[in-house]
Amino acid sequence: MAKIDLSKISHTYNSNDPNPVYALNPFSMTWENGNRYAILGPSGCGKTTMLNIVSGLVRPSAGRILFDDKDVTDLRTEDRNIAQVFQFPVIYNTMTVYENLAFPLKCRGFSKSKTDERVNSVAETLNLKSFLNSPARKLTADQKQLISLGRGLVREDVAAVLMDEPLTVIDPDLKFRLRRNLKEINEQYKTTLVYVTHDQNEAMTFADNIIVMSEGEVVQTGSPKELFERPNTTFVGYFIGSPAMNLFESEASSNDSVKINNILIKTHTNLSNLKTKNIKLGIRSEFIKIAQNQNENLVDVNVEKVEDLGNYKLITAKMGNFMIKSKVSRETEIPTKDVKLHLPADKCCVYENNRLI
Amino acid sequence: MNKLYIFLKYFFIIVWTVFVVAPFLWALTTSFKDFQSVNAGVTYIPWIDFEPNLEGWKVLIKSPAKGGVDIVEPYFNSLFVTCAASLISIILGTLSAYALSRYTFKAGFVKNNDITFFFISQRIMPPIVLSIPFFLFLSSINLLDSLTGLIVVYIVLLMPIAVWIMVDFFNKVPREIDETALIDGCNPYQAFLKVVLPNSIPGLIVAGMFCIIFGWIDFFFAFILTFTEVQLLPVKIVALNSSVTPWWSLSASALVSVAPLIIVAFIVERYLSKGNLSGAIK
Repeated sequence: MAKIDLSKISHTYNSNDPNPVYALNPFSMTWENGNRYAILGPSGCGKTTMLNIVSGLVRPSAGRILFDDKDVTDLRTEDRNIAQVFQFPVIYNTMTVYENLAFPLKCRGFSKSKTDERVNSVAETLNLKSFLNSPARKLTADQKQLISLGRGLVREDVAAVLMDEPLTVIDPDLKFRLRRNLKEINEQYKTTLVYVTHDQNEAMTFADNIIVMSEGEVVQTGSPKELFERPNTTFVGYFIGSPAMNLFESEASSNDSVKINNILIKTHTNLSNLKTKNIKLGIRSEFIKIAQNQNENLVDVNVEKVEDLGNYKLITAKMGNFMIKSKVSRETEIPTKDVKLHLPADKCCVYENNRLI
Repeated sequence: MNKLYIFLKYFFIIVWTVFVVAPFLWALTTSFKDFQSVNAGVTYIPWIDFEPNLEGWKVLIKSPAKGGVDIVEPYFNSLFVTCAASLISIILGTLSAYALSRYTFKAGFVKNNDITFFFISQRIMPPIVLSIPFFLFLSSINLLDSLTGLIVVYIVLLMPIAVWIMVDFFNKVPREIDETALIDGCNPYQAFLKVVLPNSIPGLIVAGMFCIIFGWIDFFFAFILTFTEVQLLPVKIVALNSSVTPWWSLSASALVSVAPLIIVAFIVERYLSKGNLSGAIK
């Protein structure tokens, strides 16, 4: 267990090129001891590169990595005492399940009794106890992935457990249970867990801190609530949440209000220092409701579609040349015409050049 | 249509079987014949067509002084040279193949694939091209007509086979296996020995099988690089052919020389049928 500092890290896979393309643009960040982090972003955004840099499989082109303030940038993977679980099961085919789980302990010279104790405890958590003596290659794909996960969790003293989309091959029921188990392990042993995923639900339910990445850049770090309510960029607004955040091209009207289709929308943002006219207003569909007796921030819409999605209704409506989505409770009656939607000022985010003001 | 297909299928299987089995059957019956029986025309059934005797087999272990041909020493020479060269080739070939599969080498325009092709190109070259350089090389280090000299030459011939098979095999072993072993605490050598190598046993068996076969059947270099001190089995068998060809002992020695390959084939085949090698040869 350790505090991990990533200081001005950047990486390119073609460093000899005069104009290298960066897989990771320079960033700095600290992973506090015992926290749960999720790295979230679309495929190819640099998530795995970031993990490989921390584990030492990739040496960063620039920057330093510190474990508990000790520089480990030049330390080899095997000397970093870190655990990493890959997306697809990686098992040692020629060994039994027990030998697979015990391997990291054996490599580091743990005693037989300690190894037994840890392997049994991890096997218990992951429901692998009855397979301990079976050859690992004979297990199903999701059981094999449990072995990979088990090898990651078997050492108590690791600096962090890095998981690269580890539950992709696991069926949904077990996935849910495993995520809970991982949380329990984190709470019990205070192991720093870093979880890479492109599934926002997985990230939101698992982590207390989410790092959102896009095209090699860390675009926002924060709690699920922060990411949801105040996305730093339009990308985060679009990427997080289902449906994505409503975004409207707009123009500034006064110090705290913008105009969309000539309708004045008040916000709680100070707009006096705007430098460009490229302004967007963003608001989550969860915060948009059918107007009751409010008298500002109202927009007239034509309802195009109402979908009943079980625990809520999703209204898709047209507001001039914009589409707007609103999530309302199942019980809400939706009038067929003269519908007015209310956009609460405190939930409106204003973006200049796609960045939150 | 279906019947025609079945007929043709069995017809070709039978023709092929006859084609493969007939020489063995011929050699087997001939090995139990004597001079008269061999010259009495084509016969196959012992005791009815001809009177079998063990003379052809007996001479194989009799010393020349007693009128025998004594293939025991050449046999063990062949066995020793083939096993030693195969073992060294597999060890060196596997190490080279692992390096070629996992690390990037670059010297000017020469890259990993070119190095692999260089190894394979050794087998593309006609053996006669190599014969004179090998002869001069062994002669310069005083290893002509010796088992060690033959082993050195056979390593050159067999290592490309091992590299070729193992590079392909290691390329199919996911890199994540090595990376996981490093994360679990192995250094790169331990990762190779404890994790990658045990996972590559099927590939090693296939490579070993090919090395043994190509080493065992070589006649050309054994013939050119040895004279009187050392003799390998294929050279000895060919040497049996004198003015009056002793078909019986020639057949017996041919059968004896094929035996180890049949044993290797049976072992590998049993392993193959278990599905253990499917990944290795796909």
